[in-house]
Amino acid sequence: MELILAAGDCNAEDEIICVPERVNELFENPFLGGVNRTMLLTALVAVIVIGLLYFGIVRHKKRLVPSKFGAAIEALVTFVRDEIAIGIIGPQHGLRYFPWLLSIFLFVLVSNLFEITPFINFPVSSRMWAVPALLSILTWFIFVISGFKEQGFTYLKDIAWPPGVPIALKPLVGIIELVSTFLVRPFSLAVRLFANLVAGHVMLTLLLVSGWVFISGAGGLAKVPIGLGWLVVGIAIYAFEIIVAILQAYIFTLLSAVYVQTAVHPEH
Amino acid sequence: MEALLAVQVVVAELTGDIGGSLALVGYGLAAIGPGVGIGIVAGNAVQAMARQPEAAGMVRTTMFLGIAFTEALALIGFVLFFLA
Repeated sequence: MELILAAGDCNAEDEIICVPERVNELFENPFLGGVNRTMLLTALVAVIVIGLLYFGIVRHKKRLVPSKFGAAIEALVTFVRDEIAIGIIGPQHGLRYFPWLLSIFLFVLVSNLFEITPFINFPVSSRMWAVPALLSILTWFIFVISGFKEQGFTYLKDIAWPPGVPIALKPLVGIIELVSTFLVRPFSLAVRLFANLVAGHVMLTLLLVSGWVFISGAGGLAKVPIGLGWLVVGIAIYAFEIIVAILQAYIFTLLSAVYVQTAVHPEH
Repeated sequence: MEALLAVQVVVAELTGDIGGSLALVGYGLAAIGPGVGIGIVAGNAVQAMARQPEAAGMVRTTMFLGIAFTEALALIGFVLFFLA
């Protein structure tokens, strides 16, 4: 916060772009005995998710009349179960993967929404190794292990030596399928979430900070309308980022379910 | 000889100016294909929903999947822009 506000102190006439000297301090500087901001916020996300599920589902079951909060959480959980777990993976295997899908959906949703939470304004999922890479590696392990468990060695054979392809093309298609299944899938899953959140975060920071600098910085009243313009655009992007945060959580969960589905059901 | 020198100076000035922003051009190029692709996916999904409204839920899920796969290319370009 101090570093961002320090951008307002720079000499606007000499240097157009102000770069704080130590940008990484914002994320990586340990302040509580080795705990930095990213770790603290990740733990906060976990606490919020557990709290939502505890007060929304566990405590809620004991009430006779459902409260509004409990009904909302229940709608969210039912959506993940019916639309994603059962809808994509299928009624036979869907419920087994439902806890994992619900966990990543709520975790990614809350950490995305931190981007637009006032006074936090920092999506944990824009730190590559904190959320996106970790979750996509876990998803990779889950779909590979469940593929071997359901289909045995045929799973690997069907990918590397695909049936129903002309014999001359089999080596080529096999290599492409191997790379796309085992390398491109986890990579693109992680990069999609990471890049969307980084882009949104950078856009919001640029627009709102330049609005603030233009309005309150040195240089007279003539540039205040420009700052107001930046602020209006920034607030419009703020509304857009709410949609992006929810959509990216949905897409991350949906793609995990699709990957598990292709591993569990052999192609016909 | 003087003309050649002048051309060299101009080229040096130009490349000197372009150098830092070449990554930006790369990101712009990477965004063209996915832009067209997302337009095709979303447009055809709207058409499908209009023709068969009862299949709208299924079409919407598939549309999000298609958009997510198409978008990945532009996002990789965006990440490489930061790495470059």
